[in-house]
Amino acid sequence: MTIPYNTLVVAAGVAAVGFAAGVVGSLGVLRKRALAGDAAAHATLAGVATAFLVSGRRDLPVLLAGGLASALLSLGGLVLIRRFTKTRDDAATAIVLGVSFGIGIALLSGITARGIPGGGGLEQFLLGHTAALTAADAALLAGVSIAALAAVWLGLKEATLVAFDPAFAAASGWPVAVVDYCLVALVAVMVVVGLPAAGAVLVTALVVIPPVAARLWTDRVGPMLLVSGCIGLVAAVAGVVASGLVPRLATGPMIVLTAAAIFFVSLLFAPRRGWLAKRLGPRFPLTVE
Amino acid sequence: MDPAAFEWNAMHGWAIATAAMVSAGCAVVGTLLVVRRMSLLGDAISHAVLPGIAVAVLAGGRPGGPLVLLGAVAAALVTVGLTQVLRSEGGLAEDSSAGVVFTTLFAAGVVLITAAASRIDLDPSCVLYGILELVPFDTIRIAGLEMPRAFVTAGLVFATILLGCVLTWKEQLFAAFDPDAARAAGMPVTATTIGLLAAAALATVASFEAVGAILVVAMLVVPAATAELLSRRLHRMMLLAVVIAVVSAAIGYLAAWHWNTSAAGMIAVVLGAAYVLAAVAAPQDGLVARLAAQAALNWRVTAEDCLAFLWREEESARRGPESRDRGGWTLRQRVALAWMSWAGGVLWTADGWRLTDSGRTRAETVVRSHRLWEAWLGHHVKLPLDHLHPPAEWIEHHLGADVRARIEAEVGGRDTDPHGRAIPPEQTS
Repeated sequence: MTIPYNTLVVAAGVAAVGFAAGVVGSLGVLRKRALAGDAAAHATLAGVATAFLVSGRRDLPVLLAGGLASALLSLGGLVLIRRFTKTRDDAATAIVLGVSFGIGIALLSGITARGIPGGGGLEQFLLGHTAALTAADAALLAGVSIAALAAVWLGLKEATLVAFDPAFAAASGWPVAVVDYCLVALVAVMVVVGLPAAGAVLVTALVVIPPVAARLWTDRVGPMLLVSGCIGLVAAVAGVVASGLVPRLATGPMIVLTAAAIFFVSLLFAPRRGWLAKRLGPRFPLTVE
Repeated sequence: MDPAAFEWNAMHGWAIATAAMVSAGCAVVGTLLVVRRMSLLGDAISHAVLPGIAVAVLAGGRPGGPLVLLGAVAAALVTVGLTQVLRSEGGLAEDSSAGVVFTTLFAAGVVLITAAASRIDLDPSCVLYGILELVPFDTIRIAGLEMPRAFVTAGLVFATILLGCVLTWKEQLFAAFDPDAARAAGMPVTATTIGLLAAAALATVASFEAVGAILVVAMLVVPAATAELLSRRLHRMMLLAVVIAVVSAAIGYLAAWHWNTSAAGMIAVVLGAAYVLAAVAAPQDGLVARLAAQAALNWRVTAEDCLAFLWREEESARRGPESRDRGGWTLRQRVALAWMSWAGGVLWTADGWRLTDSGRTRAETVVRSHRLWEAWLGHHVKLPLDHLHPPAEWIEHHLGADVRARIEAEVGGRDTDPHGRAIPPEQTS
């Protein structure tokens, strides 16, 4: 059995996305911003649909640029709600998520109902479908992922400091708010890049599950980023392969289920923090005699 | 658009009624979720009921039937239970563990539905945003009346939720606003929470056919958050949330009909518009109202500062050589003075601004508050003399007559402040 060249290139591109999403997501999870990407992810749909309506074509770069714009707009809306209303954070996130997704669905259904040529394929952004990606698309996804990794490389020290001790960072004169905004924007970028593979509804998992699994294996930031990236990579490739083998199967759910399986294994068998290690490992007496 | 497309018939009436019924149930549950800061749990549940529904349908249940309702409630409770287990066993933060659980369950649900697509009539895209437009075509005959099955389900679920809410109102209220005290008082807080989560699952699954999984979040949270901006009492908030939800459902459906798009999507858009409207224009907590209140306070402070300045000028004129308004007012103060001359507090004379009798009374009250506060600070806090002025300058605008009387009693009825200047007597009007 030979694998088509295009499938290989797409798998490589999506693998890069999975790795970068795992790395960027680690910083988000450490900063306890795990679900910030979820609102942005649901909002991308509206931007993708708008970009399609404006440009009239289904070019991935244009659609993703639209998705990124609406993701950042939704995060801006979140900041406005927090700043100017008494609505609490959890409700604010749910409002932005639900309403922006509603806008996306309304636009998408409108496009489908009018039978605009090429509009039918937009539904692939809901649950992810990599079969339609070209080699050029994959190169774009990989390029943005590498740029995101470079950004993490540059800002790792600041992000780590702010994640673990924001009060100390603020007292030492670090611009905590700026670091936070950059981090959330970076998560939004990864969510948008992950869109073709995982879909708007599930792409959050790409930046949440690998970091949470990696956290079980190590207590150090550097190794955690690497492990998380590798888990993301494996999950992404498995998702692409599975949806390639089963024609109607969306890629997103398979990526998520693979990542969840790795998480479950980690939860059982990770050293020290795993379920097994806690049951079998040496017990430390907590009382002092 | 073709005018014939707007032709009204009973189908649209039933679709709107179903959407309204579904929204009302969500709004009742959502109100409690929002005040308990559990909105994101509503989000998680709305994703996670999918595998429960899929399994129930595979086991022979029909969409909207009792088996499916049961499956959804079970899935919701499993979600919350798993989230808790991950928090205690895996040491995860709450949002991380919720993020892991609901994405995994939703993915499992999608895969189940895709894999069994030939055997069950659930379509992945219908799962995401429902098909409200098709709801009226699946009907059931009750008491001689042909009604959509989804409407009947939604009605039963709404009645159940409302009944549960009325019966446990006291517990819900207590658990929402002071869970620790509720627990200490022996209230079954955990049971209350589980009941609320089961209600959220019921509301979600009843909404499923009409609006799909993801948009349920909007119907749960947005009416409640909008109502919270308009009211500060829980029962009023809940009533408002239901009204907002029902009206938005009707407007959203009609808008979707007009623009030929998804009704569920448009209902969420209308809800979002309602929230923005409330955030800007709510009578007490809206942006406009709060900015106006702040501006009014700023102007009052400026005006009172001008009056107090003029009063002090009069005071020093009584003591020493002739002194008068030397000008040097800022633009803001000029505007405030002009306004007060119209309101009768000051008078423009050849010598500049002068206080009228009513202006003098008000100025004396401000100066009295100021100097009493300085006296109190000097008496109790032992601040150096030159540190007394700034806090007094700030608080002079906020002391009431009763507070002034208590301060006067505390400082032993002194009639001078620590700088030795006379404290004006209380003005009786």
